[in-house]
Amino acid sequence: MTDQIPTSKHDDAWQISRRGFLQGSAGTVAAAAGGPALSLFSTASAQAQPAEAAGKWMPSTCQGCTSWCPVQIKVVDGRAVHMRGNPLAKANHGKICPRPHLALQQVYDPDRVRQPMKRTNPEKGRGKDPGFVPISWDEAMDMLADKIMELRDAGEPEKFALFRGRYTYLRDILYSAVPKIIGSPNNISHSAICAEAEKFGPYYVEGQWDYRDYDLEHTRYVLCWGADPVSSNRQVPHAINFWGNMSDNATVAVVDPRLSATAAKADEWLPVIPGEDSALAVAMAHVILAKGVWNKAFVGDFIDGENRFVVGQTVDESQTTVPVFNEIHTHGVVQWWNIELKDRTPEWAAERTGIPAEQIRRVALGFAAAGSRAISWLSPGASMQARGGYSSMATHALNGLVGSIDAKGGVVAKVKDPTGDIPDLTAYQDELAASHSKYDKIDQRGTLAFPSLNGGKSGGGVVTNAAADGMLAKSPNEIKVAIAYWSNFGFSTSGSYRWEQALSELPFFVHLTTNASEMSMFADLVLPAAHQLFEKWGFVKNKQNLHSYVSLNQRVLEPLWDVKQDETEVPFMLAEKLAERGFDNLYRYYTEAFADPETGAAPTNGEEFTESALKMLTRGCWDSTHPDYGRYGDRLEGWEDFKAKGVWNSHRYEYGQRIDNFATQTGKVEFYSETLKAALQGHADRHDTTVDKVLEATNYVGRGELAFVPHFEPALRHGDEAEYPFIFFEHRSRLNREGRSANCTWYQAHKNVDPGDENWSDVLKMNPVDADALGLHDGDRVKVTSTTGSITVQLKRWEGLRPGTVAKCYGQGHWAYGRVAAANFAEHVPLGGNNNEILYPEFERLSGSTARHGGQSRVKVERV
Amino acid sequence: MSDKRYAMVIDLHRCVGCAACDIACKSENNVPVEFHWSNHIIETTGTFPDTRYNYIPTLCNHCENAPCVTNCPTTAMHKSEDGLTLHDPDKCIGCRLCQLSCPYGVIWFNKEDPHQNFMRDSEPAIPGGTSTGQEVAQAADAPIPYYNPARATTYQGIRDRGMVEKCTFCDHRLAVGEDPACVIACPADARIFGDLNDLESPPSKALAKYTPRVLQRDQGTKPHVFYIRNFNK
Repeated sequence: MTDQIPTSKHDDAWQISRRGFLQGSAGTVAAAAGGPALSLFSTASAQAQPAEAAGKWMPSTCQGCTSWCPVQIKVVDGRAVHMRGNPLAKANHGKICPRPHLALQQVYDPDRVRQPMKRTNPEKGRGKDPGFVPISWDEAMDMLADKIMELRDAGEPEKFALFRGRYTYLRDILYSAVPKIIGSPNNISHSAICAEAEKFGPYYVEGQWDYRDYDLEHTRYVLCWGADPVSSNRQVPHAINFWGNMSDNATVAVVDPRLSATAAKADEWLPVIPGEDSALAVAMAHVILAKGVWNKAFVGDFIDGENRFVVGQTVDESQTTVPVFNEIHTHGVVQWWNIELKDRTPEWAAERTGIPAEQIRRVALGFAAAGSRAISWLSPGASMQARGGYSSMATHALNGLVGSIDAKGGVVAKVKDPTGDIPDLTAYQDELAASHSKYDKIDQRGTLAFPSLNGGKSGGGVVTNAAADGMLAKSPNEIKVAIAYWSNFGFSTSGSYRWEQALSELPFFVHLTTNASEMSMFADLVLPAAHQLFEKWGFVKNKQNLHSYVSLNQRVLEPLWDVKQDETEVPFMLAEKLAERGFDNLYRYYTEAFADPETGAAPTNGEEFTESALKMLTRGCWDSTHPDYGRYGDRLEGWEDFKAKGVWNSHRYEYGQRIDNFATQTGKVEFYSETLKAALQGHADRHDTTVDKVLEATNYVGRGELAFVPHFEPALRHGDEAEYPFIFFEHRSRLNREGRSANCTWYQAHKNVDPGDENWSDVLKMNPVDADALGLHDGDRVKVTSTTGSITVQLKRWEGLRPGTVAKCYGQGHWAYGRVAAANFAEHVPLGGNNNEILYPEFERLSGSTARHGGQSRVKVERV
Repeated sequence: MSDKRYAMVIDLHRCVGCAACDIACKSENNVPVEFHWSNHIIETTGTFPDTRYNYIPTLCNHCENAPCVTNCPTTAMHKSEDGLTLHDPDKCIGCRLCQLSCPYGVIWFNKEDPHQNFMRDSEPAIPGGTSTGQEVAQAADAPIPYYNPARATTYQGIRDRGMVEKCTFCDHRLAVGEDPACVIACPADARIFGDLNDLESPPSKALAKYTPRVLQRDQGTKPHVFYIRNFNK
């Protein structure tokens, strides 16, 4: 640890080259400066040598989105100058999307926090200058350790909270160990503002609380539900690379209220009215059954081959003792028809969705005609909706009808990897920690209105955005000290004003971040974090292209500033500081349980700790003595080999291994979800009530048996149509590095590659029919107002969305973060507007998710 | 004379319009943020719901009959032996006739000192807590922190105020046997680059297989950037 506040690493050397550069033309520089300046300015007559400029390609991982691609960085003289994909990775096969290139501007962003800072203005709030002053890491960690000791000394360690946004899989060193050993239950992840509802459907249909992988190479039909695979999540460069050949052989249909990048290249665009996806999905299921085109080898058939799925009619099972339908690998298809589907005709759906009945029919039949080589591609857009739990199920259940789950050309899953978890820490929890870390969490999970049924368990998952409400209500307890890392909930959560308020009232808040973001402005301490791609050690695991992989985050650059690694170095420093104050449990855990797996040496500082933890958790990838070594894929030859290659690849996925062995109650793909029935009943029992009451408390309108099948739920909207005539919806950018790239000039200079958007702007897109009615032109400044707030942005007339709806991309509207992202950083004036200021803090409560999609807020639009 | 005739074929069916090419070009060639050596034309046509979005990647066409070369009074803009249209800053007088005569708008002029976000930025967001652009460049010991010195092997690493600049088909990369940066950076493999004098080269084969198009054929410039297939269906 250092008390120094460094300014730059190369003060002296710089003076020469800098002066030379500013003098201008090539000739004078070569003459006046010499040395390094020559290569900066060489012309054809004074050339740099190719060998000197070649640099070295070094591996790391891009976490600009959740594709988490293995990448390589060209490093020249200790600087990162160019990016490419890691050619050894089977997942993205050497390809990268635009995002890794933007990361060059992140790591060298002048607006990065370069030194710990403390607040001098005790008054907290948006628009109030925190009065940050730089301090040393030593002083910062002293302050934090003192605050934590105060909680422990008062016997209230549960009043500590740790908020996590993005992460590597070294996360639990900070996220899990710190709160648990201090004695707090309050480690709150971001997962529920991300995409938990997208996992909900697949879990209750096929037992996977996870994202899927897709066999693009062999598929014949891709039906995207809000998914925009050539732009975003979760296998972008792989999807881009395969899309051309794939669409030579396959039909692509895109359900999206916006003409997305993928929709622009598709065979069919279905511009659904936002939030009505479930109507469309059940109508397609209806068509597939009524027309008798389901996959009979997978689902089965009526015993006599006669299709009893007749429009408007219940399949009568009462007349016979043997089942009328011989179901094979699925469960409850007849119940699904009887309970939900029989009346869900395309004509019925056309009225709700705005999609013509003939198009619904055509797409459903085309999808089914592809047999098991069909993909119904679920995304947050069609599931992170107030009633999206059932659209998540309905859209995924289409894969069950055509038998594409676990099939060639269909929807598949991850392959196991040999990584491990952090060592057991219970021995390091004292009595206070052991008892208080079991208290109820601040995020309301498991309460009647927040079932959050991750893994089938009441309160099994996080309800990220409800943590703000819990803090404001001081329920189930008060939060007095909190750390947030790699997160910016004051920007990234719908109803973000609640976080501003909660953070304003929080007595001591530490933000561990690369940039002074919205959340930082409420912090007592801002701690500068190493950049994930260039400056930090860690590992991620993911899947693309039918391969799972483990990719290392590596420190390929010496940081220019005094930054620390958030998941390892910072907690190690905290452990040291707590030990100095007589509480050494965390320090003993880190030093005793994280010995280097090769040398057995205990770590003595944060850097050693980082490496031994990383080696320990990834040992199965590279250590031939590990029981799982080589079992699931690559056999890397030692730790140095892993670092040099950067990636471990699994074997290719094997189709069909999970059939009849799905992790559902029946082992089958469940159209009638016994798994959800058990989960809902468990939650109802916990609250001594009925499943119907649970549905009522969670904003759903379906009752009775509908609870257990994928079914139609009408869109939920906030705001009266007369006052707020437009349905507002948002979408993602192919240049978003999860809302962190708006401070990059390259982001702003290329923003128009998101169809309908404009460079250096953050436009509200409106159909010209509506714009004409309001007399609005391109570039007009408009105030967009919902029931929760207003933003002011530029208008863009665009034919890529339906009249009556307006849309804006997420990622801009920062009032902090940096001087490019904000119009006026010092005055907290945003560039554009943050959608989360006009999105109601709505939830999909069965999964705990934030319901940012589905047109949940109506708005009015006025010229300013 | 070299026997090479470099050309690029862009397969619009494979292109997804992501601009990885545009951004990678900036990184490779130290291009100021305001300039777009690699660029795109976008258009939305039709009325909802029959809306179509089209995307055409663009760059210097390295025309056989290049107006920028013809109109350059000093031969600063010239054709190389390999068919590249290149710019020699030593001969350039900054008259911008090349820029005016290019029908494609792919030549850029340094009216100011380039990279002002690093060169001129001297007021930090939070004094003591964050940096200025100048400080970052200083700490990185380069005029821009991600400065790529390889660019300087055949051209000015960063072009001076008063100079034009444009795509060179990454002649510095060709010189060491590498494809242009945009070709490598394209995740769709939509850019097919090589020598048209070699009938077996990938671009020669692509031109033989598909009906190629060029931008503004009627200008008579004979571009060496060709387009095959369609961006949308």
